[in-house]
Amino acid sequence: MSNSSETLLRVSGVYTAYDKADVLQDVNLEAQAGKITCLLGSNGSGKSTLIRSLLGLTPPNKGSILFDGIELSGLPTHKIVETGLSCIPEGRRVFPKLSVEDNLKVGAYQEKDNTVVASRLKEVYDTFPRLADRKGQLAGTMSGGEQAMVSIGRGLMGAPKLLLIDEPSLGLSPLFVKENFNIIRRINERGITIFLVEQNVHQTLAISDYGYVLSKGSVVASGTPSELSSTKEVHDAYFG
Amino acid sequence: MDIGFLAQYLMNGLMLGMMYALVAVGFTLFFGVLDVIKFSHGDVLTVGAFTALATYLGLEQIGVTDPATQILVMVIVSTVLIGGLGAVIARTVILPLRSAPPLNTLLITLMLGTVLREAVRLFYPEGGNPKPFPALLPTDSVTFGNFNLRLDNVLMFGAGVLVIVGTQWMLNRTKLGLAIRAVAQDEETAKTMGINFNLIVFITFALGSALAAFAGVMNGLYYNEINFGMGLLLGVIGFSAAIVGGMGNLYGAILGGFLFAALQTIGAVALPFASAYKDVFAFAVVIAIMAWRPTGLIQEKVSDRV
Ligand SMILES: Nc1ncnc2c1ncn2[C@@H]1O[C@H](COP(=O)(O)OP(=O)(O)O)[C@@H](O)[C@H]1O
Ligand SMILES: [Mg+2]
Repeated sequence: MSNSSETLLRVSGVYTAYDKADVLQDVNLEAQAGKITCLLGSNGSGKSTLIRSLLGLTPPNKGSILFDGIELSGLPTHKIVETGLSCIPEGRRVFPKLSVEDNLKVGAYQEKDNTVVASRLKEVYDTFPRLADRKGQLAGTMSGGEQAMVSIGRGLMGAPKLLLIDEPSLGLSPLFVKENFNIIRRINERGITIFLVEQNVHQTLAISDYGYVLSKGSVVASGTPSELSSTKEVHDAYFG
Repeated sequence: MDIGFLAQYLMNGLMLGMMYALVAVGFTLFFGVLDVIKFSHGDVLTVGAFTALATYLGLEQIGVTDPATQILVMVIVSTVLIGGLGAVIARTVILPLRSAPPLNTLLITLMLGTVLREAVRLFYPEGGNPKPFPALLPTDSVTFGNFNLRLDNVLMFGAGVLVIVGTQWMLNRTKLGLAIRAVAQDEETAKTMGINFNLIVFITFALGSALAAFAGVMNGLYYNEINFGMGLLLGVIGFSAAIVGGMGNLYGAILGGFLFAALQTIGAVALPFASAYKDVFAFAVVIAIMAWRPTGLIQEKVSDRV
């Protein structure tokens, strides 16, 4: 990792559990400002749990999450979002009975200035013209690919410093998966730092600057994409 | 039957339907945001009616006797205080019980209702007896044959329409309404949008409770009498109306409220020899509707995703 860039997110010694099931054990990782950092790992390794910990949905029992100089652990979710985090959750989770436009607007919930909201809305519609055509449609009645656009657009409406993306390609057609990775790269080019959780190793490493591998709730490998693609842990984590 | 009598029944049905709808909207809001059924809702209405009555007596004491001022102050004091009570109930009873089985919430709100009811009975001066409620609205009327259209009824109905339309507008057109709808659909994702979940819950419970207080005042003005048990039946009817309409759906609750009143009215007209059975008739039809459409009349159809 180069020292020239600044660390935006630092997760140190995080332990997270659901009721009785311990999931994350001593997770340590960082995301550099302006970069795409990825987290790879097989199904059930705890990737979504880490996202949930960052967002305060399943707060860690132990450890520290330092974001942009602010300690996030212990804060309620809406306060965490206020510090500049936004997410595109696993399974997209659009609000099914809200229109496309209301879904997008709720993404900018904390923005008080309506003209700012309007300009962000325009930006999202420019990125996804299909959403502009269907702004009045209930999101729950859209196809998986369209819901993915709504979910991405909604994540952008918060104008986050750090965008957390959890398995965006899950359940999408290969063509749309490819498009999705292009979109993520373009979002990053606009200056938004990205923390990307994926199972899709090759395409993920192709757009990432740095990556971690999670296995059974612990980080077992980290490095640049070229380092990781030749690492035994990556193969073990997926095929082992 | 005489058309004038029918018109009278219709007017009465509309007034009752409005009160039921106001109560049902509260049930549906609470269920929407938290998936809970708050059985103390009817008794919150009672407390609202008694709060308004106490406010009236207080105003009389300090020499405020203009009826328009009185009624305005009564409605404001009652809805604001009861809204606060609703938020306090959400904070101290409903939210802490979220991790418990739903049956516990049901049981505890049922007990809370009893506590509120008994508190009115025991602590309101001579609270065990029915209390006269002042007729503050102008009672001018026009008579068409057997139909006596009273201005106070028209005013009350108009105010009810305004309140319901205002609630509807707030839910569908404002940012607060957007947050309430988002929380109702997906609590967790709503939180990750930056919505303060607890605050939205408090506001929703305050709103629903204020609507019940409004219905309580309306009930007092309509019958010119209130009693500590008035919320019991109103609560059960409002709950049935919300269920029949489709729990969680605002329009369903309104529809359910007026439907129930219509059934009662039909029962009273069709069974003139036994109008005491109008509630039996109405509830029997409700049971039949539920057997026919177990999830309510207005069903939500959004789950067919591609
Ligand atoms: N809500 C939950 N309650 C209990 N256990 C959970 C919950 N969510 C996930 N888990 C468990 O935590 C582990 C990690 O899950 P998750 O973080 O979803 O993994 P990933 O996103 O990497 O597939 C799994 O063993 C899963 O069964
Ligand atoms: Mg996952």
